[in-house]
Amino acid sequence: MINVQNMNAYYGDFHVLKNVSLTVDEGQIVVMLGPNGHGKSTFLKSVCGLVEKVDGTLNYKGESITGLRAERLVNKGITYIAENRELFPEMTVLENLKLGAYSKSARPHEKENLERVFSLFPRLADRKGQFASTMSGGEARMLAIARGLMSNAKFLAIDEPSLGLQPNLRDEVARIIKEINDQGMTVLVVEQNIPQITELADKLYVLEEGRITFEGSKEDALCNDHLKEIFLGM
Amino acid sequence: MLIEIIDVIISGMINGSVYALMAVGLTLIYGVSKAFNFAYGSFYSMGGYIAFLLFGAAFINSYLVVFLLAAPVLFFFGFIIEKLLVAPLRKRDDWEIKVMMITLGLALFLDNSYQVVFGARMKSLPPLMEGSFEAGDFFLSYQDIVIFVLSIGGILLFRWFLNNTRTGMSVRAVAQNPAGAQIVGIPKEFVFAATFAISTVMVGMGGILLAQKYFVTPAGGWNILVKAWVITAFGGMGSIKGGLYAAFIVGMLEAFVGWQFGMTWTLMALFAVLLTTLAVRPQGLMGKWG
Repeated sequence: MINVQNMNAYYGDFHVLKNVSLTVDEGQIVVMLGPNGHGKSTFLKSVCGLVEKVDGTLNYKGESITGLRAERLVNKGITYIAENRELFPEMTVLENLKLGAYSKSARPHEKENLERVFSLFPRLADRKGQFASTMSGGEARMLAIARGLMSNAKFLAIDEPSLGLQPNLRDEVARIIKEINDQGMTVLVVEQNIPQITELADKLYVLEEGRITFEGSKEDALCNDHLKEIFLGM
Repeated sequence: MLIEIIDVIISGMINGSVYALMAVGLTLIYGVSKAFNFAYGSFYSMGGYIAFLLFGAAFINSYLVVFLLAAPVLFFFGFIIEKLLVAPLRKRDDWEIKVMMITLGLALFLDNSYQVVFGARMKSLPPLMEGSFEAGDFFLSYQDIVIFVLSIGGILLFRWFLNNTRTGMSVRAVAQNPAGAQIVGIPKEFVFAATFAISTVMVGMGGILLAQKYFVTPAGGWNILVKAWVITAFGGMGSIKGGLYAAFIVGMLEAFVGWQFGMTWTLMALFAVLLTTLAVRPQGLMGKWG
């Protein structure tokens, strides 16, 4: 569904991503692991058209999307969910969700997506009128995911969804990802090392110092001593 | 005495309403794109000159037609200026200060162009409406009532636009979180240009409304820029509500200072307000610091 070839990304003169290639097939959950500050977030943002200086080729459903900006990609069904949530603080939960359906392709589906999101996150339905800035960390995370779903996305790129969450909320996030995947969503998740999320992966990638150092199944990863030591904590 | 005070209050309210319209425009650009537009006063004069030109055309004699024709011209002008002058700077370091410099240059260019094209003498516009309401010693011209109603109407319309339309919501989204706006697929650059254009319409309309009372001159916008600036800083940079309150306070202050001490002291009073604000409460009435 998404195919990335030899992606390089830069912040100013700083070379963040070095020839990164990755493939996510339709219906998969792919998880990318890696230490903090090694380029995972930059990679997700680059795929979603949110980084200025990127080269390499990007294909989505067999069509080239190289160089397209986020506003075009969201319309095609590629949505980024930010690690720091990036909500609209002085707007209500409902307004945040409605803005999630800003793109042209999402507008006709706004109502059905709203119902779907409220059934996935009943707590958000209770807090429709509350300002985003007054929500707890866990609720804000849920709202960020829910807002992403409002875009009618076919492909979600989720940046560290369990960051800063308590273990029971991590289970909740993992459950949601599983559920939307079962409903047909293709998902690429970036995480540090969260067993609940890693467990969901159809395929794992490891990104270190801007390079892919491992690609394979969970089982392959368990046989790899280097990975076991660093990421799987065994 | 009582009648005099009422007159002063009314004059403060009327000027305050137009200031509010213009300050909301200035604070809007700052709130959404963090740019400060130094040519804002020259856009005010432009409104006056556009109206003057339109009234010069033989077939136009109604303000309604002038407003309807001037609004799209001002919008288009503001949009083009943002795209040509401001947007290219945004990618550079220290772009905020560069935007100030380039809009300052634009202001000088525009003001001198007005002088070349229209001459240095002040132009007057026909009154919006003749006649007045009188009750004993009390006197209120219909023109003032219309100015007040149109300014407040403009602000309410703008508020409605921000809260109830998709484009308005996207403007608020960019103001609150540009990165978040990009993520949901809002074309940030378009929103920047559109807000710049809307603010140009607001100040240009203010220029038309006040031109009947204060005439149109090539450099007449500087006074307005200073006032809008003071109001914006006093109300809180980027806060629309703060700007509204501040505009009426400044309008009142001006009217009372003008009445008690003479009009020459009004600008002095404004600077006193600005200095006090900066010293005591630098974030302004309702602004958030930073």
